[in-house]
Amino acid sequence: MSSPRYAPAVLIGRGVRLAARLRKAGGGSAVPGLVVNRVAPGFLGDVLSSFPEGLVVVSGSAGKSTTTKMLVAILVAHGKRVFTNPSTANITQGLTSALLERASITGRIDADLAVLEMDEGHGARLADRFRARLVLLTNVMTDQIDRFHDAQQVQAMLGRIAARAADAVVLNGDDALLTALAPHAEVVPFGVADAVLAGAPRGLGYAATTPQRITAGTRVVAVTGREARIEVRGEPLSVRLPAKGVHYAVDAAGALAAAERLLGGAFDARTAVGALDAMSPVFGRGEIVTVRGRQVEFVLVQNTASFQLNVDELDEGLDQVLVAMGSDVRDPSYFWPADTARIGRARIVSGSKADEIALQLLYQGVTVDRVEPDLGRALDEFLALPEPDRGIKTIVFTADAMRRTRSHLGLAG
Amino acid sequence: MLALFPELTDVNGDAQNALVLARRAVWAGHLDIRVERLAAGEAPTSTPVAVVLGSTTDPVLPALLAALREVQDDLEGWIDDGVPVLAVGTGLEALTRAIVLAEGRLDGLGLVPAIAEPLPSRAAGDLVVRATEGDLVGYENHSRGLVLEAGVPPLGVVRRGVGDGRGSDGVRHGSIIGTRMHGPVLAKNPALADAMLAAALGGPVSVRGETAAAADAAAARIRTALLASA
Repeated sequence: MSSPRYAPAVLIGRGVRLAARLRKAGGGSAVPGLVVNRVAPGFLGDVLSSFPEGLVVVSGSAGKSTTTKMLVAILVAHGKRVFTNPSTANITQGLTSALLERASITGRIDADLAVLEMDEGHGARLADRFRARLVLLTNVMTDQIDRFHDAQQVQAMLGRIAARAADAVVLNGDDALLTALAPHAEVVPFGVADAVLAGAPRGLGYAATTPQRITAGTRVVAVTGREARIEVRGEPLSVRLPAKGVHYAVDAAGALAAAERLLGGAFDARTAVGALDAMSPVFGRGEIVTVRGRQVEFVLVQNTASFQLNVDELDEGLDQVLVAMGSDVRDPSYFWPADTARIGRARIVSGSKADEIALQLLYQGVTVDRVEPDLGRALDEFLALPEPDRGIKTIVFTADAMRRTRSHLGLAG
Repeated sequence: MLALFPELTDVNGDAQNALVLARRAVWAGHLDIRVERLAAGEAPTSTPVAVVLGSTTDPVLPALLAALREVQDDLEGWIDDGVPVLAVGTGLEALTRAIVLAEGRLDGLGLVPAIAEPLPSRAAGDLVVRATEGDLVGYENHSRGLVLEAGVPPLGVVRRGVGDGRGSDGVRHGSIIGTRMHGPVLAKNPALADAMLAAALGGPVSVRGETAAAADAAAARIRTALLASA
């Protein structure tokens, strides 16, 4: 809703953003949002509802960043002008700040539609302030137990977000907690074929998996390394994934299913596949970067299931691994169920929770050469090691350690 | 080392305490000790040297109780023989006489003379408990506390956090040690782990080697940081 009444709030928010950046380069991204939400509480909801082709909300325990980026890439390749938020801005204040970045003085953003990743807790709380055209739900995993006490609670939050969908709720049809939701809008499931599930020895990581696979709709029918076969409208497409792993194939299936629904007759399978092929690896997930002349693979872990899935995807016998756990993990207990023996040897364990994750690794039988809580020092030493005998230098980190790593190494994001 | 129903009781990694005991046993030279996992519905085939029962979420509690009832005779026999049992969170609640929930009351196994009642508010955060093994540290996240019957001793006195409310945490009853400290409580508190191991193996244990030293040094740093703020 374009309205001059937001001009003061937008100006204040920009002033605060400028002040925050002058104080600390790259800092203060949530602060402007905090201020604007205080002076103009209607701003966020009104801007979210102002896109001519509507709002798409992506939420769930894991995979929402990847799925959001894939969906945006497909829509952009089809000529849509899309507003989206960086994955670090998926909670209320950050979202408002992200909108401020692009909003005109009257609180309007020049884009056809918005595709926004929303944290499940904040999304549920915001739910009565927006109306979405489509809601895309990835999965429910046992995640952040100190925030969300159990999976049923996460399910209820996603139910509140799904209730805001007008046209469709595209959801993971293999996740029993999602298929149990009963939104008003039409449910469009995506999922994997029997053979794909059978090939995942530890399952898909959902809190509860449905007894039956879906037989129609968008389905992952095969995954080999970074190649996936995904069936859309009955036609098998060869999709290149941003990194190895069935979970990326499932993310791609969700993005394809949502894109197909949003674009209708304009959806073109080749355009969609081309967009996924061209996607640069998503921020921190299987991303390979070159820093100080060394190739390094970044692996982001967010909860027990993603820790397990990502460790299972590591090449065996890696010679140089750094594991860093940051202060984002309030209760490291929930990293304990993961079987991390495959890591074999960690050259350095770091981050503010270095001792906690070192303890987990040691009891799992991983050799830990050194515990260095100072992440900057750990990164400098790790990068200075000669090129590894096997594989490439690999850094496994939690979100907070990822942010600090990128900042220390002068990488964007 | 028997992990009971880890598919139900490893939400917070509690079941991994069986791994901690087994590793420490090996580090102390008992090379034949390993982890056995009993799934719900399976019958135990041998007598364990120690048992670990972790916590689960409230919606799964009835399933945990049903699984426990199927092995109740075995469990009671082991406890009578002095096999040490570590019970954590809702796993401990399941061993009491009853669990009071918002929607009603569940009967427990009655092996611990106590009932679990709702706390005034949810307890989530660091927990520090002074026990005979020294100050124990861990993390709690739960909404009920045990009300112990007269004469039943708790595990220890709460120095920081909530525990079971009323200033104490957990229980010591026969060979059962119960606590609200979830996750790797035995890894973070090697003294408690080694006391359980000594009871399990019938004599004092002393871990040796580089890995044990590295693990206990990490645990000591975690404990020092938490105790400094307790």
